[in-house]
This record gives sequence, C-alpha cells and structure tokens, in this order.
Amino acid sequence: MKLVWKLLRRHISLPQFAGFFFANLLGMLIVLLSLQFYRDVKPIFSEDDGFIRPDFLILSKRISTLNTIGLGSVNTFSDREIDELKSQPFAKNVGAFTASQYKVSCSMGIEGVAQIGTEMFFESVPDAFVDVDLKKWHFSEGDDFVPIIVPKTYLAIYNFGFAQSQNLPKISEGVVGMVEMTISMRGNGLNEYIKGRVIGFSTRLNTILAPENFIRWSNERYAPDSDKEPSRIILEVNNPADDAIVNYINDKGYEMEDDKLDAGRMTFFLRLVSGIVMLVGLLISLLSFYILMLSIYLLVEKNTEKMRTLLLIGYSPAKVAMPYQLLTIGMNAAVLILAICGLVIVRSLYMQKLLTVFPQMQCGSILSAILLGLVLFVIVSLVNVIIIRHRINQIWKN
Amino acid sequence: MNCIQLDNTLPNVFLQRADIQSDIWRQQVCLEKGKTYLIEASSGTGKSSLCSFIIGYRKDFDGKILFDGKDSGKFKTADWVKLRQYHISLLFQELRLFPELTAMENVEIKNSLTGFKSKQEIERWFEALGIADKMSSPVRLMSFGQQQRVAMIRALVQPFDFLLADEPISHLDETNSQIMADIMMEEAHRQGAAVIITSIGKHMQLPYDKVFGL
Repeated sequence: MKLVWKLLRRHISLPQFAGFFFANLLGMLIVLLSLQFYRDVKPIFSEDDGFIRPDFLILSKRISTLNTIGLGSVNTFSDREIDELKSQPFAKNVGAFTASQYKVSCSMGIEGVAQIGTEMFFESVPDAFVDVDLKKWHFSEGDDFVPIIVPKTYLAIYNFGFAQSQNLPKISEGVVGMVEMTISMRGNGLNEYIKGRVIGFSTRLNTILAPENFIRWSNERYAPDSDKEPSRIILEVNNPADDAIVNYINDKGYEMEDDKLDAGRMTFFLRLVSGIVMLVGLLISLLSFYILMLSIYLLVEKNTEKMRTLLLIGYSPAKVAMPYQLLTIGMNAAVLILAICGLVIVRSLYMQKLLTVFPQMQCGSILSAILLGLVLFVIVSLVNVIIIRHRINQIWKN
Repeated sequence: MNCIQLDNTLPNVFLQRADIQSDIWRQQVCLEKGKTYLIEASSGTGKSSLCSFIIGYRKDFDGKILFDGKDSGKFKTADWVKLRQYHISLLFQELRLFPELTAMENVEIKNSLTGFKSKQEIERWFEALGIADKMSSPVRLMSFGQQQRVAMIRALVQPFDFLLADEPISHLDETNSQIMADIMMEEAHRQGAAVIITSIGKHMQLPYDKVFGL
C-alpha cells in the first residue's frame, strides 16, 4: 500500500488541494454556524425559555373604505372560519367576541352627586378568556345587577391624560369599583334599566365586557332579529413565536390588535436568514467539492498508465482506487474536525455577547451541528469514493 | 488452472483477411500446464495482442479463450484479478515498470499482493542476474536490458500456472539470456507451471514441447 501511494501521489497538485480544503472548510463552517446560531437564538423568541409566555391574540377583519360606505365583504367571522381557526395546530383555544346589538346608555353617580351619562356598548367573551377574578363575574336572568370589566388603559388615560390636565382628582381602581351605574337598554320596543358596577380591569381585553350569558339574554330580549356573527375573535396560542401564526393570519387577511406576534415574525426572519446563509455555505461546499473532483480527475488522468499497469499485474480496482479514496476521506475528515473547532470558537464569541443581553439564556448543545457536519461528511465522502471507483472502473475497461 | 484453450480465436483487425496462415489464429489450441511453448512470429502478426487477450487486457477478438473450459468472455472483474494474481503471470514486452520506483520497489509492489517470495529470494535473483547493485536505483536510470531483468523478477514473484514472456530477451546478451532462462525455468518447474515465450527471432534456448508459428 505504501508503494502504491508512493506511485500514485505523483502529480498531486498542492495548490488545487489546498484550494479545495479551504473552500470546503469555509463552506462547512458557514453551514454548521448557521444551524448552530439558529438553534442558539431561537429559544430567545420561543416559549420554551419563558421570555414570551403563551398568549392571547385578538383578531379582526380588515376594515376597508368599501366597508365604511356599506359595500365590500362582510367583516364578521363565520362559523366555518372559526372552526378552521380552531383546527390550526397553534390554536389552543378560540373564543368569539359577542357585541350588544341594542342601544345601551349608562348614567352614574356616587350617592347624591349629580349624574353623568353616556351612550355605550357591551361585548362579551367566553369566561375562560377573562383575566380578572371571576368570583363576582356572573349573571343570571332576573338579576338586577350586571358586573362590568373595563380596560385598564381607560383608567390610565383618565388619570394620566385627562385628570392631570383638567386638575381633576385621580381615581383608583377601588373608587371606580364603588361607582354604581344605571344602565339603560332600549330595543325591540322595550326600555329597561339594570344596575351595573365595574368589578375589574383587564389588560388583555380592550373593550367594555359584560358576562357572556348577560349579552346572550339581552340580545335575545332587545334585538332578537339581529346578526349574531362575531366581528372579533380571541385566540389563545401556545407559542406566540410560532411563525405559522403570522403566516396564517396574513394568508387570511386578518388583522391583529397588537404586535404580540413580533416574536413570530422574528423567528420567521431568523429562519429565513439562517436558511439563506446555510444555502450560501452549501453552495461554497458544493463548489469546493467540484474543485476536488476536478483535481482528482486530473490526477487520475495523469496517472492512468500507472494505474492500468497496477491492474494488469494483479491489483484489483478497489485497491487501486483506495489511495485516492483515503486521501479524500482524510481531507473531508480534517475539514469536519477543523470546522467543528471553528464552530466552537465562533460560538463562544457570540454566546458571550448574547449572554450579556439575555443572562437567563441557557447554553444549548452543539450536538445537532456536529451531527449535520457528520451527515455532510458521510455524503460528500461517499460521493467521492463512488466517483473515484467509477473512474478506476473506466480504466479497467480501457 | 491446467489449460488455456484458444477456440477459433482471431484479432478483430484480421477479420477481413482471408489468407491467415497461423498455428494459433482460427485454430483449436490447448496450452497445458507444465509444458514449454515457443510462439514465433514476425512483427505485426498479433503476438502482443495474444498476450493481452489471455491476460484480459483487451477483448477485441473473435472466437473464445477458455481457462479450464470456462469462457473468459464471461469473467467478472474479480475473476480476472484472481487470474492475474494466482494463475497467469505476464512479462510485458514493453516491461511496464514504474520509472519513479527503485528496482526493488518495482518487484515489491507486485510481491506485496501475495507475499509469495521472501526478500532474500528476490535479492538472490538480483544477484544472479547481475543487477544487485541496482536494487535501490530508480528504474528510469537503468538500461533497457537491466530493466528487462527487473521485469522478469517481477513476473516471477507470484504464484502462477502459466508464465507468458513476451520477447523476454530482446535486449540481453547470450550469457544473461541463459541466466534468465535458467531462473525462469527453475521457478516454473518449482511451480509446475507452463512457460509460453514469444519471439520475433532471437529466443531463449530451451527444450520446447511445441513451437507455434503465429
């Protein structure tokens, strides 16, 4: 074997092989790094790490100018659309907003003080979506009191916007809870009153909420013929960083109330960028592979006569092919090892930076990158081995 | 392997010729193990082609070549490898030595396939043939006659039933021809093998069992 190697190593072009070696190293390093970086950074956006918890998204349909002037498509959700949303893998729970379909006005005052009043509306969502203590959150037909939840932002707007500028006193949540409202409901030829009180403030739901069975009862009583399809949907998801949500919502043309899905978009973007970088790495690897194959072909071409003689004096094609096969496997292995070393070094550099920004981040393993490297190594080496053997077989057949 | 049978064999280049007068081409010939043959021919009659056909290097012939009745046309790569390693040794007319290797390495590269001969045995042959001082010299620096002797040693360092020597002494003097013939026949007898020598005129003086005119 030593003599065969001595014979066949003639004409090996060092510059060509060095070219292949470094190009392949660069390609492999880029491929491994892109995967590793993706895997290291992804937990920052996803649920596993707890930076972003399972969350609630509020969806509506886009309101166009045509909708405003009474034309255009409906902007309510049909049962079919809700069922479809429920069946999506990212959806944990789906609830519909039901709005009051009759006229509501409310007047209030703290005992003996002059009353103020306003036109308003109610909406309801299934109780599971309400982020306030549900102890006082019940209504049954015949009750003369209805609990109400308002958005926390309302109070903030009053306290820090209106009250400040008008020199009015700031109000606490407790004070608001003491205010008793008289709610007037008109419709279907009826005009009735019910008492109401704010029992909590919601950060999740940006609307004036009443219990779901109150809305159902009152809609039937005051607006029995009205359209009951919801125009807003509340969706609970396991992982708001899942980019499938963004894709689905964009595909359907829905709108989201806030940008809770930024993480999802970021994940998508991260995957896209990692994918492109990986592709570039693979492309470089592919080109380097091409250089190697050209070099080997040239080498075999220059050593054809020697190989033919070896075959004629009794060497098998497998034995003649082996030196070049071992050479390529050795180089591929060296590339793999160096690429993994490079990966470890580069990773330690960027992980330092990431950990200063996200100290709670956990360091994952580089196992999957090593595995990918091994898979690439095996594939490339296998193709090398097969091509070299094929070339020797051609010499055997003349 | 006991018999190489040439069954109506003819190189494709001669297919158009009607006036083939030959003891080999288009004949039934059986070359038997243990015997000594001389194939005499003038240039261009297909002497080296015959060697190439038997060793499986070329297949551009009509008819059949059978080894112990087995058609070589149906041989697989592994069959040829086995044949070249254990049954037929060929001393090429063009020698086919590796110029960048030393004389000893040229022999070793073949011997390492089967480990048939010890280093001492090989060195004895180098001495007997008068090229012991050239063992470590690159073959490219040796004369053709010296190279012919190296090629002969290389042909002998394997087990064989048939030894084909294609013009083995074209560049040797009488003395060296005789030494080479002695060594060759000694090894052939030891292995009980047949020796087939081709020649275009000058040939080894041996007790031939049969002389063919190609």
